[in-house]
Amino acid sequence: MAMSDEKNAAKALIAPVAAKNTLWTTDNPRAYGGVPLEEHPNLELARYEATGDGRVDDARWGGALAAIPTKADVVLDLIRANSLWPLLSGLACCAIEMMSTATSKNDIDRWGAFPFRASPRQADVLIVAGTLTTKMAEPLIRLWEQMPEPKWVVAMGDCTCSGGRYKRSYSVVQGIDRVMPVDVYIPGCPPRPEGLIYGMMKLQQLVKDRRGHWAQRAIGPTVPEGI
Amino acid sequence: MTTETTRPTRPSLDDPRVAIPGSSSWYEPAPTPQTERQAEFLNLRDGEMFINMGPQHPSTHGVLRIIVKVNGEQVIDLDPVLGYLHRGVEKLCENADYHQAICYTDPLEYVSSLFCEAAPVAAFEKLMDVEVPRRAQYIRVLTMELNRIASHTLFQGWMALDLGGLTPILWSFIERDEIVDMLAALTGQKLLYNYYRIGGVNGDLNHEFMSRLGAWMSRAAKHIDSNLGLMNENELFVRRTRDLGTLDAATALRMGVTGPNLRASGVPFDLRRDRPYLVYPELEFDVPTRTEGDALARYLVRIEEIKQSIRIIDQVLHEMPDGPVMAKLPRLIRPRPGRAFGAVEGPRGVYGVYAISDGTDQPFRMRIHDPSFVHLQLVGPLTRGNLIADTMAVMASLDPVMGGVDK
Repeated sequence: MAMSDEKNAAKALIAPVAAKNTLWTTDNPRAYGGVPLEEHPNLELARYEATGDGRVDDARWGGALAAIPTKADVVLDLIRANSLWPLLSGLACCAIEMMSTATSKNDIDRWGAFPFRASPRQADVLIVAGTLTTKMAEPLIRLWEQMPEPKWVVAMGDCTCSGGRYKRSYSVVQGIDRVMPVDVYIPGCPPRPEGLIYGMMKLQQLVKDRRGHWAQRAIGPTVPEGI
Repeated sequence: MTTETTRPTRPSLDDPRVAIPGSSSWYEPAPTPQTERQAEFLNLRDGEMFINMGPQHPSTHGVLRIIVKVNGEQVIDLDPVLGYLHRGVEKLCENADYHQAICYTDPLEYVSSLFCEAAPVAAFEKLMDVEVPRRAQYIRVLTMELNRIASHTLFQGWMALDLGGLTPILWSFIERDEIVDMLAALTGQKLLYNYYRIGGVNGDLNHEFMSRLGAWMSRAAKHIDSNLGLMNENELFVRRTRDLGTLDAATALRMGVTGPNLRASGVPFDLRRDRPYLVYPELEFDVPTRTEGDALARYLVRIEEIKQSIRIIDQVLHEMPDGPVMAKLPRLIRPRPGRAFGAVEGPRGVYGVYAISDGTDQPFRMRIHDPSFVHLQLVGPLTRGNLIADTMAVMASLDPVMGGVDK
């Protein structure tokens, strides 16, 4: 018994100090610039935000197929991984290498999975190719929001991974993971087309393994495990 | 007092309280005009409307936003919005030493990055008053002409793509990939080579580069000719680009146009011949010029330049001397205080760098002159009165690269 107490004391000693997060559970609805539910200008939106009722998870089968989620999801992921449609959006230098990936020599269409689409409504993958500046950040986030879920982001090039050679610039976003969640990082300035193809194959594996899936993913700098 | 709670009615979208914070700037109202030109642009007459194009658009050659004022299918006016790729290169160069500044100017025009290196290197060499070894000069000419061919073949594919043809870009990327790969064998890096140094080049020609170059040269003329047949003999292409966006010589000179765009308007100005640098005076080449000044002429001038570049490369390979590729220089460069302007004839026009030294190891000021920025101002005057689809054809024929425009 004494041994157990000592163990508990030791456990308590090394246990992290857990401070309760009162930020999101405040009783005062007006705290942090909020409004009470009754005064919210868009009541339905507020209820949806508070409860999540009526949320449609369009990444999964609805209706009868929801009864067999695992098998259906495996099949669905297999289909998704083999038809990832990237958005044809180039920002700077890496866009040229991205075009080279899509054209004759490194024909990425050989995988049958990567036809570049010009509309975000038809795209699954956003390949951010090139330096993202602060002025371009908002349109790019808008593009990403226009893409239907499930969607993935590939950061191509050093500039999008971390700022790269423009690390000290006043007008460059130092890594796109500051503004959107990233699934695959491809370093290089610019990466070779072989590098982009390798990254896209990694993304296929990631989709099949259901890692870095959008539903379970936090917003912010995230690196999926095991990559 | 009744305690009956009334459920608020569903607000309409016209209610200003419904506005979602943070996403309003995209739909910001038209600004109050600051200048006469802006007031004229914002004034919509009967039947006119604005169409936004970009910044993400497959055929704007990068991230350019164009606000087009249209009347039906006809473009009345147009206003480019720049700065979506502004990376602060000039400021970064002022905080880097002279060797590092070359690396920052490299990705300005990413399809012709060797020219973007050559201009600051030329300015710094004038500041240092250093003589470049002859072999290094020949290597620079050789690699620059290769890069010019790569850039012009890309232009050919892009122009076809903007006009709706997909095949030429697949063909032109074959040549471009081969050139870029052989330059990667020489410089160790694709696309952004970072090869020129102050006083020479970084490394001598190697075996892989020479063997690939020899194999490519033996078939280059034939392949490029067969590529041309796709477009030069295509009646749709020729009829669509002829008399489109005609630029006369006087306007071109007044607007500061250089390069193939100027030569297509009938002004035979080429920096390689008129202000010679490196070993160009010793080489034999023509300056292709046309007098029409339309989109087709700008296309044909570039095609002729590809052939002239192959001619120059042939001469360079025959006349290249042996010797060192790097001048003897101290590792830390501190030029005397002074100013220098270095310029080279790039595939789009004159790249220039005006560098001011204050005696330290960092340039005090570096002004980068880029031809794309100058040519972009022509898009408005040349497309007025044309159809919407021709806007991109005119822009493709001017061939701006947004990295150079926004710096």
